[in-house]
Amino acid sequence: MSTISDSMNTIHSLEEMAEAKTIIHRLHPMVKLITTFLYIVLVVSFSPYNITGLVVFLFYPVILMALAEIPYNPLLKRLIVALPFSFFAGLSNIIFNQNLALMIGNIPITYGVISFFSIMIKTVYTVMAVLILIATTPMTQIAYQLLRIKVPKIIVVQIMLTYRYISVLLEQVSNMYTAYILRAPLSKGIKMKDMGIFVGQLLLKSFDRAENIYFAMKCRGYDGDYIHAKPKALTQQDWIYLLGTVIVLCLMKFFNLSQFIGNFI
Amino acid sequence: MLHIEGLNYAYPDGHKAIRDINLDINKGESIALVGANGAGKSSLFKLIVGISDISQGVIQVDETPVEKKTLKDIRRKVGMVFQNPDDQLFMTKVYDDVAFGPRNELLSESDVEKRVTDALELLGISHLTDRMPHRLSGGEKRTIAIASVLSMDPSIILFDEPTSFLDPKARRNIMNALGTLEMTKIIATHDLDMALDICDRVIVLKEGSVFADGKVCDILLDEAILSQCSLELPLCMQRCKTCDLKYFFL
Repeated sequence: MSTISDSMNTIHSLEEMAEAKTIIHRLHPMVKLITTFLYIVLVVSFSPYNITGLVVFLFYPVILMALAEIPYNPLLKRLIVALPFSFFAGLSNIIFNQNLALMIGNIPITYGVISFFSIMIKTVYTVMAVLILIATTPMTQIAYQLLRIKVPKIIVVQIMLTYRYISVLLEQVSNMYTAYILRAPLSKGIKMKDMGIFVGQLLLKSFDRAENIYFAMKCRGYDGDYIHAKPKALTQQDWIYLLGTVIVLCLMKFFNLSQFIGNFI
Repeated sequence: MLHIEGLNYAYPDGHKAIRDINLDINKGESIALVGANGAGKSSLFKLIVGISDISQGVIQVDETPVEKKTLKDIRRKVGMVFQNPDDQLFMTKVYDDVAFGPRNELLSESDVEKRVTDALELLGISHLTDRMPHRLSGGEKRTIAIASVLSMDPSIILFDEPTSFLDPKARRNIMNALGTLEMTKIIATHDLDMALDICDRVIVLKEGSVFADGKVCDILLDEAILSQCSLELPLCMQRCKTCDLKYFFL
């Protein structure tokens, strides 16, 4: 039960974070979208065996979280959800790629191990970047900017409605689960024999609820186009942030800053 | 303003929800649509705003028939407040929810802002502008749902059970809010005390047909009509079971 509530709170807390008024929140959504996209592309484009180059990219999420006053714990918790997928993807590299890359003391380090860590680091960085984007920009504004950069309307509408319906679905699960558990106090969850009916009912009720929401939208003029408030034009501050971030990110990618800094130590 | 003639509607399974309804509703009227559960109140609303397709008959809003090609126009003129505000409110901020309708009308953002501000001010909830709908109380959500329809500047508003699940204070606030609205109001409700308070005409539905239609005092004081439709006198008109005195008298 607490898991369902946690999930609902997660969705709502990200939305609440996005309404703050810090320097990062005030930036134009397009600027944040471009820098996030660039960051992801640069991080992903690193060679799977280049970990040292990746290290400096940690500065981006850390600095953004500090400036946007985003608490670390909630975001890190959400990050953990994504890690198992890349963990198992990376694990196969350890098994299948056993060519020796280097020795640390007497410990042999294979290319598989390096690429495993590379995959994990890339996952952490990219997921963090997306979470920071969501935590600093309302979903409606992200959707609007996606439309501006010519992402197909059908995809943007799907993203928006799915995002909305997740909380509807969770709320329905929460209500049904509460009603179930109150009438089955000895049960530690939904019994397997009831699971089919529970899921079936959930599906029907969700359809019903989704239909009502859709009708309510139709009654207020919705005809497939999700109309968003247009954000204000880019300010000087937005341009400075955009250029500064692009330059710094490119520097981090194309110059080995780790090695450069290391030379001074 | 709203003309309904020979209206029939059957669900896909063949069950008849609306049977031969004929109605004329004039500008500015405040109408209570009452009837037992399943009498056809919500079905009638869905037909008026074109959510369900008419099986037979005609509905006209300002002489515009409710048809597929006129739905945009009809929904601009007729707003509907749903029974469950959670069905209606789905944006992250109250402002965006109230602005949803005007934005779909492709108004400029300054006009949208004016519509939103006016709607929130009229209902006395301007202080909720930046709040998140899911964090609000039931009464506040209900008021915002009304504001979200009001911002579309409709000439008719349909309310589906606007006072259900509300505590007395929230109910009173909603009733006061409804009382301030000057457009035509059709309120589907079981709350006959509210109907007595803010409506001037009552339409009683029974098994999908109009069973009675008349002035609020004539219908809501008629125990025979009400009992035939599984309804009771409004609480304020019922006799005290202990002392057999009426609480109030119109």
